Amino acid sequence: MTRSQQFKELLQSISFRELTLSIDLLVSVYISFIYVQSLTNATAEQLASVSWLSALLLEVLTYSVVLMILSYLLLAFISDDELKQPLDVREKQINLIGYKYKAYILQTGICIAIFQYQIEANGWGPAIEYNIPYLPMHVLVASFLIGEITYYAAQLYKGRTGNIYE
Amino acid sequence: MSEYAITNSIRTLRFLQNEMTQKQLAEAIGVTRQTVMAIEANKYSPSLEVAFKIASVFGLPLEEVFQYRAINKSN
Repeated sequence: MTRSQQFKELLQSISFRELTLSIDLLVSVYISFIYVQSLTNATAEQLASVSWLSALLLEVLTYSVVLMILSYLLLAFISDDELKQPLDVREKQINLIGYKYKAYILQTGICIAIFQYQIEANGWGPAIEYNIPYLPMHVLVASFLIGEITYYAAQLYKGRTGNIYE
Repeated sequence: MSEYAITNSIRTLRFLQNEMTQKQLAEAIGVTRQTVMAIEANKYSPSLEVAFKIASVFGLPLEEVFQYRAINKSN
């Protein structure tokens, strides 16, 4: 079987649910990329500025809302009323597995953010070494973004492999 | 060591039912084609409702479509 045939077969095997999840995953990765890029390119003054930080968060929020609406419109345009169809039992189970991993990451992020103050007080956290102001907030945003990516990626993986009982 | 698992004869029954496609079966029972694929490959055990729907599509009792049997696993 040639590569083009394999690719064609893969495209035919993709369900509309997988397409939706893939687009949501791409959007989440892109938003995470914008956030990380803005942080790495920022100067020390910008990182310490509340107004710059609120502008960045507003930008991330705007991007996520606009991209989600655009992806929904695109999917509604190419779908044959498939967006309105409810998930079947297996898809709901896979959805719950995705939520489970997302919850783990969010809980971990919240715990790290809470203990960050204590870590800073003891003088051995990355906030002291790299001088990152508002680090607990960045940890929370990062855990949310990683949680979103994991949520979509886990659903795609479980849906494709079929092993949902492990 | 033997473990028990749910197996099924859906692939054979589809073939005998005028070579019914996975998509046709999925539409008849109200699930996605991916779910039918997972059930056929014994990677997913359907709910009782879906199992009864599959059996009714083929016009057979449940035990002729799904079996609960021991599978030998060597350690």
